[in-house]
Amino acid sequence: MTDGSWITLISLGVTFLFMMGVPVLLVIFYWVVGCSFVMGLTLDNTGAELMNVFNKGFALLAMPLFILTGDLINKSGIARRLSNFAYACLGWLRGGLAMASIGACGLFAAISGSNSATTATIGSMLHPEMVKGGYDERFSAATAAAGGTVGIIIPPSIIFIVYGFLMNLPISDLFIAGIVPGSLMVLAMMIACFVICYINKWGFLITLSPWRVFKTAVGAWLGFFAIGLVLWGIYTGKFSPTEAAGVTVGFCIIVGVISYPLNKLMKNKPDAPAEERSLASMVVVEGFTPIEIPSIVVRSAQITGILAPLIAVSVVMQQILSLLGAQQVIGGFVTGMGGYYPVLFTAMAIVFVAGMILESLPVTIILAPILAPIAASVGVDPIQFAVIFLVGASIGFITPPYGLNLYVASGVTGVPYFRLLRYATMYLVSLVIVWFCVAIFPSLSNTLLPGGYLFELLSGLGG
Amino acid sequence: MSVMADVGTIIGATLSGDITFSTVQAYRSPAAWFVFGPLTLLGGLLVYWIYQRVPFLDRHLERTIVVWTYIVIAMIIFVGVLQRFGPNLWWFPEAWAGQPAWSTTIPPLLFMVMAWYGCAFNVRLRTHLSFNEFRSKMPPRGQIIVLMMDAVLWMGFCIIVVTTTARVTVNSYDNFQIVLGTDNLMQWKFLITVPIAFLLMAGRVWENLFEDLKRYRAGEPLIEQAVIGGDV
Repeated sequence: MTDGSWITLISLGVTFLFMMGVPVLLVIFYWVVGCSFVMGLTLDNTGAELMNVFNKGFALLAMPLFILTGDLINKSGIARRLSNFAYACLGWLRGGLAMASIGACGLFAAISGSNSATTATIGSMLHPEMVKGGYDERFSAATAAAGGTVGIIIPPSIIFIVYGFLMNLPISDLFIAGIVPGSLMVLAMMIACFVICYINKWGFLITLSPWRVFKTAVGAWLGFFAIGLVLWGIYTGKFSPTEAAGVTVGFCIIVGVISYPLNKLMKNKPDAPAEERSLASMVVVEGFTPIEIPSIVVRSAQITGILAPLIAVSVVMQQILSLLGAQQVIGGFVTGMGGYYPVLFTAMAIVFVAGMILESLPVTIILAPILAPIAASVGVDPIQFAVIFLVGASIGFITPPYGLNLYVASGVTGVPYFRLLRYATMYLVSLVIVWFCVAIFPSLSNTLLPGGYLFELLSGLGG
Repeated sequence: MSVMADVGTIIGATLSGDITFSTVQAYRSPAAWFVFGPLTLLGGLLVYWIYQRVPFLDRHLERTIVVWTYIVIAMIIFVGVLQRFGPNLWWFPEAWAGQPAWSTTIPPLLFMVMAWYGCAFNVRLRTHLSFNEFRSKMPPRGQIIVLMMDAVLWMGFCIIVVTTTARVTVNSYDNFQIVLGTDNLMQWKFLITVPIAFLLMAGRVWENLFEDLKRYRAGEPLIEQAVIGGDV
C-alpha cells in the first residue's frame, strides 16, 4: 500500500473513533501518531511539541485568564447586572427576554472571551426565567447556544488570540476588527429572535422605562468598567492582551472580595433610609469571599484543561499536514476556483464544513495556516480574512453534528441535544447572512483600525 | 549498546541522578519505551492504589495543583503590570517598581503545568470534548466495549507522552537549560511535571476503567452526560 492509502485508512479509522464518542483530543493524537509512523517521523517531536506549545509565547496565556474572568464576573454578580440592563433595554419588545439574553451574551463576551463560558453563564441564568416567561424551552436553550457564538468574536476572544499567535498578526488589531462584526452578529440574532417570538407570540412585554434602564445601567457599572478597562488597555497599547486579561482577573477579584462584606453590611442595616439602601444595592454587587476563589478557579481550570491540550495536539496535527503537503493540495484546489470572491467563498465553505465536524480550535489551528496565505495571495486583507475565518469558526459552535455550544446549552438547560437543532438552525441562517456581509464588505472589519472610516471619525472627534 | 544495557543505564542513571551524555543517548534509544511503558502502566496502578487508600488525594490532588498554578499565573501577570505602571502612582512603594524579567517566562511554563494536570482532572471527570450521541444510545455491552476502548487509547496516549517528554526533560537537564530571565532556575524542574502529570492521568484511566466494570456488573447506567464547567 502507498503512504497515501495508509493515511486515508488512518483518517477513516480516527473518524470511526470520533463517531464512537472517543474524545477529540485522542482522535487527533492518534491521527498524528499514525501519520508519524507512515511518514517515518519520530514521536519525540510530538512529545516535545506538547510541552513547547505553551512555552513558546506569552500570548496564549490570555486564554486561561479570560476564561477565569468569565467565571469571576459570573460569581461576583456582575453578569446578572449586565443581564438586567439588557432586559431593561429590550423587555418592551416582543421576545424581549430572549433578545436580552443575546444582548447579555454580547456584554458578557466583552469581558470574558470564551463561547462556552458565555453560553453556560447566560444559559443557566436566563433559561429558567425564559421558560417561566412562556418561551419554548427548546428555543430558550437554542438562544443561549447561539448567543454564545459572539463570545469569541467580540473582544477579548480566545480564538483571536490563538489565530494571532499562529499567524503572527497583532492580537490587539484582531480584537478591534472583531467589534463591528460581533455587534452585527448580536443584532442579526436579535432580529431572528424577534421574528420567531413575534410569530409564536412568546414572552410578556414590559413597558420601556428610562428610569429602569438608568438604574440597571448604574447597577452594571462594574461590568462596563471592566469592558472599558480591557478595551482601553488594548486599544491604547498600555498592556498586551495577556496583561489585559491578568488586569481584568485582578480587578474582578478585588471587586468581588470588597463587595461581599459591603453587601453583607447593607443587608444587616434594615433601618437605613430606603433611598440609601436602594442606591447602595444598585452600586454594590454580591461579590464573593476569598475562600470561594479556589472553587471559582477550579471551574475555569476544568475548561482550560480541555482546551489547552486540544490546542497542543492540533498544532502537531497542523505540522504533519504541512509535511504531507496539505497546503499545496488545498491551495491548488482553492486557487483553482479563480479570483477574489471564488477563492474567498471556497475558503469559507471549507471552514463551514470543518466547523460541522471539529471544534473551532482545531479548525483554526489546522486550516488558518493553509487558507490565510491563499486568501492573501488573491488580495484579501489578512486582518479581514482573520475575522471572516473566525466568524465562520464561531458559526461552527452551533452546526451539528459537532456544535460545542449546543452541547453546553443542552448540559446547562437539560434540553436534549437534538431538540435544540430546530431553533438553532434559525439563528444559524442569520449568522450566515452576517458572515457573507463581513466577507463582501471589508470595511466592516477594518472600520475601527487606522485608515478605517470610524477610526478617522473617532480620531477627529478626539481632536 | 543492547536494549537491555540501555534499560539499565536509564534506570541506574535516573535513580542516582547521574545524568551524562550516555544517559541521554540511552533515553533516545528504543530502550526508553521498555522502561516508560511498564512504568506508566504500573505507576498508574500505584497512583490508583494510593487514590483508593487516601481519598483526600483522589479528590484534591490535580485540582489543587491547577488552582494554585492558575492563581500564581494571574498574580504574576497582574503584579507585573502594577510594577510597570506603579511608579506613576503616588501611593506605589518605590521598592516594588520594576517588572522582573521572569514575569513573562515563568507563567507560560506554569500554563504548561496547568494544562496537563487539568487534562488529567478532566479524564477523571470524563469531560473531554467528544461526540457522545451514538454511544449513549448503545446497549450496555456496546457501551462497556467503547469505554474499554477509551481506556486503552488513553493509556497509549499516556505511555507515548511519558516516554517522549521524559526524553525532552533529560535533554534539558543535560544541557543545563535555565528559565529565561532567571539566574539559576533550571527548566527541567518545570518540564518533569509533564511526565508526572501523565502518570497521574494513567492512574485516572485505571480508576475510570475499574469503576466502569463495577457499574457494568451492577447493571448501573454507564454513560452519563457530563457538564463542562458544572459542579466539580
